[in-house]
Amino acid sequence: MSVETKQVRTNMVGRSMSNESFISLFMVGVLVILFGVACALVPNFYLPQNIINLITNSWFVIILGIGVTFLLITGNFDMSVGGVIALTGVLSVYFCQGANVSQNVLANGLGLPYGVAVALALVCAMGIGAINAFFVARLKVPSIIVTLATMMLARGIAQIVTRGAQRNTSLPDVFGVLGNVSIPGTSIKISVLIMIFLVVVAFIFEKKTVSGRRTYLIGANAEAARLSGIKVGRHLTFLYLTSALLAGITGILLASEFKAGVSNRAMGYEFDALVIALLGGVSIAGGFGSVLGMFVGAIILSVVTTAATGLLLSPDWQFTLKGIVTFIAILAQRFALDRRKG
Amino acid sequence: MKLTDNVLEIRELVKDFPGVRAVNNVSFDIKRNTVHCLVGENGAGKSTLIKILTGASLRTGGKVLLNGEEYWAHNPKEAKQKGISTLFQELNVVDQLTVEENLTLGMEDTTFGFLRKTDKINAMVSVMNSLEPSISPRQLVSTLSVAKKQIVEIAKAVASESDIIIMDEPTAAISESEIARLFKIIKGLREKNVTVIYISHRLDEIFELGDYVTVMRDGKHIDTKPVSAIHDRSELIKMMIGKTVFEEYTPKEGECKDAILQVKNLSNHKLNDISFDVHEGEIVGFYGLVGAGKTELARAIYGVDDYEGEIIFKGRKLQPAPDKAIAAGIALVPEERRSQGLFTILTIRGNVPVMNMKKVSRSGFINAAQERNVTLEYIDTLRIATNSTEKEASKLSGGNQQKVVFAKCLFADANLLMLDEPTRGIDVGAKSEIYGIIRRLSEEGKSIMIFSSELPEVVNICDTIYLLYDGSMKATMRNGCDIDSEKIIHIVTGGE
Amino acid sequence: MKGARDESLGIRMDRSNAVRANIKKVYIYVVLVLIVVVFSLVKLGQVEMFGRGHFLSPDSIVNLLRAAVPILTLSGAFTLLMISGYIDLSVGSAMSLSAVVFALMILNGFPFLPALAITLVVGIAMGFLNGTLVMKLRITPVIATLVTLNLFKGIALLIVPAGLSAIKGSAAKIMPAWINDYARKEVLLGLPAAFFIALVVIAILVLVQRKTILGKYAAAMGGNRTAAELSGINVVKMGWMLYVIVGFFAAFAGVARASYMSLGDPLSGDGMELDCIIAVLLGGTAFSGGEGSVAKTIVGALIIMCVTTGLMTVIPAFWQTVAKGSVLLLAVVLNHLLVREKAKA
Repeated sequence: MSVETKQVRTNMVGRSMSNESFISLFMVGVLVILFGVACALVPNFYLPQNIINLITNSWFVIILGIGVTFLLITGNFDMSVGGVIALTGVLSVYFCQGANVSQNVLANGLGLPYGVAVALALVCAMGIGAINAFFVARLKVPSIIVTLATMMLARGIAQIVTRGAQRNTSLPDVFGVLGNVSIPGTSIKISVLIMIFLVVVAFIFEKKTVSGRRTYLIGANAEAARLSGIKVGRHLTFLYLTSALLAGITGILLASEFKAGVSNRAMGYEFDALVIALLGGVSIAGGFGSVLGMFVGAIILSVVTTAATGLLLSPDWQFTLKGIVTFIAILAQRFALDRRKG
Repeated sequence: MKLTDNVLEIRELVKDFPGVRAVNNVSFDIKRNTVHCLVGENGAGKSTLIKILTGASLRTGGKVLLNGEEYWAHNPKEAKQKGISTLFQELNVVDQLTVEENLTLGMEDTTFGFLRKTDKINAMVSVMNSLEPSISPRQLVSTLSVAKKQIVEIAKAVASESDIIIMDEPTAAISESEIARLFKIIKGLREKNVTVIYISHRLDEIFELGDYVTVMRDGKHIDTKPVSAIHDRSELIKMMIGKTVFEEYTPKEGECKDAILQVKNLSNHKLNDISFDVHEGEIVGFYGLVGAGKTELARAIYGVDDYEGEIIFKGRKLQPAPDKAIAAGIALVPEERRSQGLFTILTIRGNVPVMNMKKVSRSGFINAAQERNVTLEYIDTLRIATNSTEKEASKLSGGNQQKVVFAKCLFADANLLMLDEPTRGIDVGAKSEIYGIIRRLSEEGKSIMIFSSELPEVVNICDTIYLLYDGSMKATMRNGCDIDSEKIIHIVTGGE
Repeated sequence: MKGARDESLGIRMDRSNAVRANIKKVYIYVVLVLIVVVFSLVKLGQVEMFGRGHFLSPDSIVNLLRAAVPILTLSGAFTLLMISGYIDLSVGSAMSLSAVVFALMILNGFPFLPALAITLVVGIAMGFLNGTLVMKLRITPVIATLVTLNLFKGIALLIVPAGLSAIKGSAAKIMPAWINDYARKEVLLGLPAAFFIALVVIAILVLVQRKTILGKYAAAMGGNRTAAELSGINVVKMGWMLYVIVGFFAAFAGVARASYMSLGDPLSGDGMELDCIIAVLLGGTAFSGGEGSVAKTIVGALIIMCVTTGLMTVIPAFWQTVAKGSVLLLAVVLNHLLVREKAKA
């Protein structure tokens, strides 16, 4: 091959940015603008500690966002994640509470070692994921309905196990370790590190693995994916199991942090996970979006909610803000993409 | 509105697409209250002409007169309002409503929103009765067979006082007795002040049903005649194919190779007891017109549709699933490239390696450089016109899109390639490039199955040709000896 | 011969279609009867709501029907929307917001009818917003109505003065007792006015679904949107109207809830959309639209009320979420078995 053709070949690879990167960049721009506005309106918003908090306070919703993002790319929802958090948290407590320790039913558990309890709880979480997968992949039922139902199932089981309240006694000391250990010298918990690790893994999955690529293919054109030999049902099952597992891990960490399994933990988290995915540019039309975008979306949401608190708005403002912000994001992204294509 | 002799007059109609003139100065008349048939091979321009009439496509030049006045439609809804209804292959009835509700859809009489049974409504419903009394107006359309749903659509067109009903290959999906019933109804439409434009390649139907026939070829109008003035099928066939010159087909030399694919008694909802073999390095053509069962055959072998019968590939029974077929060494270039073959929102690089990711990845991790190189290779070998691997597939031309689908299947390292209408909608230049690719592959030892409704395509490159009609295999021919194209057309249009 | 085979296949399909159709007509009444029987047989113990603890006692039935007024008022319109192929997940929050608005006005001295009228206008506005997002801006219905769910909920929470979880009056202003007149005070057979209004609403909507052009066009666009458009139906306008109607009745339901509870609680409607969905699924409405029945949805709504109130007495409160989730899943399964979803375009 002559030098000339080789050069032509290199040019052909192209340096044009994909639409995904464009949107992620666009949302970063939005983030910067919002941050600027917040700094102007809210005293002390620009302090480094505050900025760190913006990220670290969202660690749990970001982990959830990973599973939700991949499913959304295939055109499916997972609204069960909040319930799975509650379920895993409660079960992790129940499984390792001391057995026959007290008269109070809520203080007695199965007395298993912590590690076993955690593993079992995660298996239960994946059970919920399996139910989701069965209905969505096999029976082809709309995912929004199924996952709302399994959300209630999961949370409901948590409520039964805690009799509507919580379990927080007779726990081994090791229980509170995972959720409360921080990096020496800082106040950043291990959970945050886990979150960062999972996001990195998810990003590698999305960009570099065959399985991640499959997610986009299914989302872009499920029929063509099938004709290209992709086992769509199997992949969707994998995604639902993973989403449930991620929610389970979050549940374990939260239960450990508060040293309690609370049945109404994580109410509404599933919607937040959906919001940050949408803010990050993931499209329900399928085949488009990135976990990095979701991460940016999480920070945007964090900026908005923190600024609202800083402006002394009551926490009730959350709902309205989330609604408005999501709506604006959807329209803005559509507008930006149309301009880019046209 | 004066009642002219001709319900439709087409004057020097022209339709251009980039690089090709699909309708070339076509002029003819359609007389009122007749059954006017339109015949022609694939690519003759019939479908484009019909698209202009139904508003799905805008003409480039010339004009159309409906009832003496200039006619144009920008969409099917407008066409319908102006008096031209169409019966498509995808039925446009609402299954969940009753027959009566479908008939009156969009034309109801109401008082404060409440539906009323007026004389107008009763008249519309009685149309159904006069066409086919066995269909009760109160039946849910979902309970009707496909043939009866067609009749409901016809009744709706009549009830809405359409001047013209266009029927595009209506008999493809219905049984013989249902066809007889349909013909009775169509003939009766003439008394109901409706003109029928009937498109079909089943020539017997033309003779049975038609008052007039228009033959098109290569975008041009060849002739319009009363059916009674045509002596027999072969006269019609001669008009359809004219002096088609086939390229030199070079017969393959060499020993008889083993059979790589053996299909035995394949049957399903569309196919009837099909059996054949494909040998290594052989190029096999399946020729037939619309509704012959070509795509169904490809899909059955690929494992997308259910079937009864046995398929042996490379000596082993083939499991009916696309991923199993690909793993065994079969790849399919599907009929619809945009909706089935390509991932249009992804780039070329995103499309090409999809069917064999193992080759560009290690332990599940994609090697981006390899991906790019592979894509570049195919861009090179197949001469895909693009300046970047990162171009979105939706932005490529039809021919280049098809090349990407080819690249995808070639990359799967298949021993057997099934190509369903491989050059449909592609310009001449790209077409011959693709034929070159196919020949090369055969020389390399790959087996190819081409499913096509274009005769020259099949005759130019295939070693063996199977003729399909209505789901059955009607004849086999070895290429190389004199090809009697008339006989071929005769068979694929229903002759014996 | 292919012809013969097609026809025998056709006949077999016709027969199985007919069997299926018959089952569909009847099953829901069977389910309702079953549930009533089961709950009557189970010993209910001394629970205040059920009078002498008997499920079928007049007291229990009255209590059940009174509690059912909101869902009875709303689920008919919800069915119509689903028949057209669209969904509204914001109805619960719309209901809450309406309850809050209504209670606020009553608290501040508005008479019943003007307060009702204004609340209904708010409902129409909410429906109009949903219609705009879904039909005009073409945002996926699920996401669009999840957004408005949060929006309405947020507005409701903002209206409720700081510190109060509901609008119920204080030392300064007293909620007039007559607020109960609509949904609690006995008017006939122990049932309140709101119940009879709900019956009228149901009757109207059943008529609309079966006998008016709105019902027919909803089924047409849900069943085959292309065919509907080809026939000249303005799908965008129809869909918009249906969303407005749902918003209207969500407001009506909110008024009933506020009247019944004598307060405006911004969370009072939570979960109503799930109840509506269960009712609609039990009633055999296809998720993709095209078919459905207001009457059967109402029966489905009654089934849910029986289950919820019946369960409430038999099982502890903390079993209810699981119960609800299971009922929804069961409704999904039932719907899947009964309804043959139209093939994807």
